[in-house]
Amino acid sequence: LSRRPRIAAVVTEYRKHSHGQHIVDRFLEGYGWNNRHHRPEMDVVSLYVDQRPEGDLTQDRISRFPQMKLCDSIATALTLGTDDLAVDGVVLIAEHGQYERNEKGQHLYPRYEFFMQIVDVFRATGKTAAVFNDKHLSWNWNWAREMYEVSRELDFPFMAGSSLPVTWRNPAIDMPLDARIEEAMCVGYGDVDSYDFHAFETLQCMVERRAGGEAGVHWLETYSGDRFWQAHHDGLWSRDLFDACLCRSHSLTSARDGFNHTFPNVDEQKRLAEPLAFRYQHADGLPATVIMMNGLVQDFNFAARLEGMERPLSTQMYLPMPPKWTTLASFFSPQVNNVEQMFLTGVPAYPVERTLLTTGLVIAGVDSLQQEGARVATPHLDISYPAPSVSTFWDS
Amino acid sequence: MSVPRIAVITTVYSYLSHAQHFVDRFLVGYAYEGMWHYPAVDVVSLYVDQRPVGDQSADRGREFGFNVYPAIAEALRCGGDQLAVDGVLIICEHGDYACNELGQILYPRFEWFQECVAVFEAAGRAVPIFSDKHLSYDYAKAEQMIADARRLNFALMAGSSVPVTWRLPDLELEHGCVIEEALAIGFGGSDPTDYHALEGLQCMIERRHGGETGVAAVQMLEGAAVWSALDEGRWSHQLLEAALSRSDSPQGLSVEDGRTQDLLGSGELRRLATEPVAYIIEFRDGLQATLLMLNGAIANFCFAARLEGSESPVSCQFLVTPKPNVNYSASLVAKIDEMFRTGRAPIPADRTLAVSGYLAACLKSRHQGCVRLETPHLSATYTAPVESHHAHR
Repeated sequence: LSRRPRIAAVVTEYRKHSHGQHIVDRFLEGYGWNNRHHRPEMDVVSLYVDQRPEGDLTQDRISRFPQMKLCDSIATALTLGTDDLAVDGVVLIAEHGQYERNEKGQHLYPRYEFFMQIVDVFRATGKTAAVFNDKHLSWNWNWAREMYEVSRELDFPFMAGSSLPVTWRNPAIDMPLDARIEEAMCVGYGDVDSYDFHAFETLQCMVERRAGGEAGVHWLETYSGDRFWQAHHDGLWSRDLFDACLCRSHSLTSARDGFNHTFPNVDEQKRLAEPLAFRYQHADGLPATVIMMNGLVQDFNFAARLEGMERPLSTQMYLPMPPKWTTLASFFSPQVNNVEQMFLTGVPAYPVERTLLTTGLVIAGVDSLQQEGARVATPHLDISYPAPSVSTFWDS
Repeated sequence: MSVPRIAVITTVYSYLSHAQHFVDRFLVGYAYEGMWHYPAVDVVSLYVDQRPVGDQSADRGREFGFNVYPAIAEALRCGGDQLAVDGVLIICEHGDYACNELGQILYPRFEWFQECVAVFEAAGRAVPIFSDKHLSYDYAKAEQMIADARRLNFALMAGSSVPVTWRLPDLELEHGCVIEEALAIGFGGSDPTDYHALEGLQCMIERRHGGETGVAAVQMLEGAAVWSALDEGRWSHQLLEAALSRSDSPQGLSVEDGRTQDLLGSGELRRLATEPVAYIIEFRDGLQATLLMLNGAIANFCFAARLEGSESPVSCQFLVTPKPNVNYSASLVAKIDEMFRTGRAPIPADRTLAVSGYLAACLKSRHQGCVRLETPHLSATYTAPVESHHAHR
């Protein structure tokens, strides 16, 4: 492009600490990046906000950034009221807001619905723009798959996902490209159909770099309550990897009053934690486990056993989390920066197939939990893709 | 060698005190480099100077099988006649101690160190000492501590956890690099917290070409004088922007509605930091380093420097990992642990001497109306270790 890219923002909510605020604010206000207050070389020219709850910041942002027009429909945000596509990129942020849950407990965020309204404009105008979709693609697998297929059919750059793959790491390591991984694990926290997505993405951004690249997932099963502890005892997943994850945490709950950091034994873990494990097997045989360890940690930690390595490779994907630890959720900065690169170059910084796969894993997890933890076959997750050779996490 | 026996000498031992952070890690282990590490040292004795509500000293002694002694010499001798330990951990932070006219808390770091030295001299044998944070509020006393360690030939390490914690990004300056200017930002009070910020600064710049050369002059500025000095270009705007870009705790509008901020460009920095303080250090090799304490505007410790031949500065945040784990303490305990096991200090106490010295000089500058003070006494030089000692693995 010879001029600054023009961006449309489509969000469910724009209030303090909603994803809409974190992401769109960074395009508008800039953010700390590479030793400067960086201002993206592009303009957000339109904004669609689906819900305006108490604390809504839309009006404040519209008045302070007059180049950004508030639009009453997604189509208008993309055309600016003309017959033509008027933007070069779209950020779609359908996280937060009052949306119903279905009988499985899935939050029915309208990612697919918003996406299809965007695609309708693409089809009507015969033009396309790059799209970034925050978090997973859709709560409904067929819809998620359709979003992916449509992006291929119309051939527009499409990125999605969590900020976990791109945030700071302690230590600042990446999975060696073409590593032979024997087993992988993420120990995180949060709820089903919510933060579990971040944990799946944490694990996936590392294991996709293994020899042969990503091959897809064959099945997934879940463990909670006593079944979790029995499986933990039986060694269904590696105790070494689990311990390594706990040792990477900055927020391990102390099992003892008056001590601020102890390593909990299993009895203490049982007392403190409400665990939930998603155990799944990749098509090339790689076993992976995502453990949501609510009560024990409040961060996302990764560990893997590599062929020929005595000790696990482990790191924490560090989230400077407001309001408890910081005032800014700075992990959105590397995410926005990667999206900016797509808007500038037309090339996604990392593959959307990663998020298609993790979307499927979240849904499979919900399905397994519906069936009391049963193993769910996932023949539809035959998603293979090569990892980008360049690391995209925040290390500069 | 058998397992080293350690005496702990501390002001207070209560939940989230420095003693609890450090000593507990020797007792129950700590997370380090992806493993739970149990140090191969035994805490065998404890002296605690004050026992406020919440004192944990007796409980810890009972549970972990060591005695609490009523005097420092007794703790070092474990109640006997002879030095009976292989290392001493002195933790003088927290507790009720007087302040002097410079605003320094008169922690008895030097006095306790001297009691240890007296026991060493009587025994004809000396063992490694770790002294938490500054060596002393007084430079002559700090110098004496270094001299005693050299005279009796024992390992001495001191200082803050800031130099050894994680860095965002994982910045380490090349050993022997040429630094044109350096700047740090921080928050908190004087002189407990400015000390941490200054050690963060010093651990980075000590790696410059020629090593540490000593300090020629210092000046402290407060209030409006800080902004005037900024306007006059007394330190680099570019470095201040770089350091601020690493903070994820801007106050004001970020607290109000979550927005990111260009604190320097927008002018919010001056509105938020109502009582700014600048510590300007002129080193003998010509390097100027500045610490800006920006209470009200940010709540992180960050560093920036301009290196010769590079247009863009380098910068990082020293990650103060969350409470209550404060796992940055583990990074320092790992270094103390190493000293007790090897008899060698991986981090030079000269760093702590230098920082103790220029912090005290800055406080004198403030006391004398924020004048520039020449510092012929701050002549100590040292060479930084080549190896990186901060958390990065």
